[in-house]
Amino acid sequence: MAKRQSQFQNLGMWIAAGILILVLGAFLFAASGIYNVAASRGHLAAIRWFLDFGMRRSVATHSIGIAHPLLNDPDLVQLGAAHYQGGCAPCHGAPGAASNPIVQHMLPSPPDLAKAVRSFTPQQLFWVAKHGLKYTGMPAWVASGRDDEVWAIVAFLVALPDMESEQYRRLVEGNAEPLRRNGRELAQFGKGTEAISRCVRCHGDETHGSVNALVPKLRGQSLAYLELSLRDYAEGLRQSGIMQPIAATLDKEAVAALAQYYAHLPAEQGGPFKVAGSEERLKRGTEIASKGIVESGVPPCLACHGGKSAPTFPKLAGQHARYLAGQLRLWKRGLRERTAQGAIMGAIAPHLTEQQIGDVAAYFENLRTETLQKSAANDQIGALP
Amino acid sequence: MSGRSALAKLAIGLAGVFALEGCDAIQSALAPYSPEAAKIALLFWVMSIGGGLIVTLMAILTGIALLGGASARGWLSRDATIIGGGLVFPVVTLTAMLGYGLMLLAEGTATTSEGEPLRITIVGERWWWRVFYHDRAGKGFETANELTLPVERPVELELLTADVIHSLWVPNLAGKLDMIPGRKNILAFTATRTGVSRGQCAEYCGGAHALMAFDVVTMAQAEFVAWHARAASPAGGTRTSQEQSGFDLFMTRGCPACHTIRGTSAAGRIGPDLTHLGSRRSLGAGTLPNNIGTIAAWIVDNQHIKPRNRMPAFQIFDGRELLELASFLASLQ
Repeated sequence: MAKRQSQFQNLGMWIAAGILILVLGAFLFAASGIYNVAASRGHLAAIRWFLDFGMRRSVATHSIGIAHPLLNDPDLVQLGAAHYQGGCAPCHGAPGAASNPIVQHMLPSPPDLAKAVRSFTPQQLFWVAKHGLKYTGMPAWVASGRDDEVWAIVAFLVALPDMESEQYRRLVEGNAEPLRRNGRELAQFGKGTEAISRCVRCHGDETHGSVNALVPKLRGQSLAYLELSLRDYAEGLRQSGIMQPIAATLDKEAVAALAQYYAHLPAEQGGPFKVAGSEERLKRGTEIASKGIVESGVPPCLACHGGKSAPTFPKLAGQHARYLAGQLRLWKRGLRERTAQGAIMGAIAPHLTEQQIGDVAAYFENLRTETLQKSAANDQIGALP
Repeated sequence: MSGRSALAKLAIGLAGVFALEGCDAIQSALAPYSPEAAKIALLFWVMSIGGGLIVTLMAILTGIALLGGASARGWLSRDATIIGGGLVFPVVTLTAMLGYGLMLLAEGTATTSEGEPLRITIVGERWWWRVFYHDRAGKGFETANELTLPVERPVELELLTADVIHSLWVPNLAGKLDMIPGRKNILAFTATRTGVSRGQCAEYCGGAHALMAFDVVTMAQAEFVAWHARAASPAGGTRTSQEQSGFDLFMTRGCPACHTIRGTSAAGRIGPDLTHLGSRRSLGAGTLPNNIGTIAAWIVDNQHIKPRNRMPAFQIFDGRELLELASFLASLQ
């Protein structure tokens, strides 16, 4: 009996000693610096295979159970493409434009997605875009609650392998003008075509409106609200993986200038709203907007969003219904409550049902934009300091 | 000090504390301001003293059972003692108590005074009180979170609820009566003492239930007529420039969406009527005292003061605007 016990004790001691030696050895190995961490050298083939294998298995396991919306929605694909051009193409390249040589010398280097996405399912692409990848330079999505934005990226990625470079260019440039500079201008100001802060690609300019129903119309919006929104995005109080990186590149003067520009453009016309069953929907929406919902304690929307209200309250007349509904759903999920104004809507929007959200969004899209133009004069009083 | 005597001292001390608690007259069933409350207080004393006597009797009998002589114990264990003391006595006393209690707490119209009853409808909301004073012409006016009553005149409170079950309880004036969805309950009493008392919600109604109280002011009839005339009048009078700026802020920053100020175009029905906010004794349904500072604090930070209440925190004002808005609201006397 005693002999067996001591045999086990011996074994235990050997195992402990072995582990200690391994740990010490690993530490000494790292401390000596013999191992070469140079990115220029690349991995041994076996190690590269193993790392890739581990990554794919981890992504596959962690993306189990993710449900995905319809991905062949053209608005979603365009939104994803527009963000891709500014946020992803610098590393991953784009159809017709390879990525920078600097980026190609990263280890691991960002793959050409047109080929790489074929080996991932949409759920896996969603997981990688949302969470990033350890041990690589792939970042996580800036706004961790905005799954809707990540799905736009995935919708684009799914369409990417079959996309021609001309089609891609049309998707991402939108209505932005090409920039022609002579030699001196190029030398002074650079090519100036970096995508991330070119607002017109999505939000339009004097002659064009916003590119699709997921992108809010900005023309004629309240000046104070535009400034407030960009400030909230820049400080991370308002969550968006698409707008936060953009707002972070803008300094105070740029914010003021951009807000002035868009606030003084003539508003885009809204409506008429032509979807099946829209008569009923508009009637319900009008009811909610002008009288509120007594049972759930929802005040009438127009009490703050119509007529003479504070310049910092956004004008909603003519805004895309799909965008408005998306924002109301963000409040339902508690994702827009950290700003001062968002906190006000945060006590109201969660009491709306899904149908009521659709109704009020339809109502506002259909509302004529005369109210927008009439209260443009308010902007003079209300601009933020 | 031995363990037992320390325990006795503690018990007496605690009893003293609780007795003193009951003496604080502002929210006490033992300081009745009306005959109905007096009946309840009487019931309390009868039951407490009677119960106390019975407990003492039981203690004595227990003492006899443990320590008494053989003949005493023999007497105690006779059938007659057990049936008489253990069945007949409890049945008689409890039946009498029950009958007395039921008679006392029966709901109905006030019996103690003549005169036409003052009718007030109180709707329990989450988590405040909507108070509507009816007048003879069939109209009336609405206010919130405070009840002002005349003495020596019967009062009928019609209790309704807008959402879940609440319960109105002003211990100085009457017993509790629930507000039940789909049902109208009438609480009738006549106040006989002037003064201030406090009531609260006595049925759990969700998050801020513990902060759903209200003040009750009883006053002489002549005073009440004057108060009624002023409370029924719309907000008006001259405003200083600071108050006028506050009024403009009030009208443009979304407040009219939920609040009413009679005499202006603010006609929201979701939150309390603010027409005479400045003259109330408390804010937030009995949560805060009422002054410019607490009004400002409520506007900016009400979610910390009364978590989950239905008003959002309005942090969109800078210091100057907040002062203007609060001074406007405080001026609504």
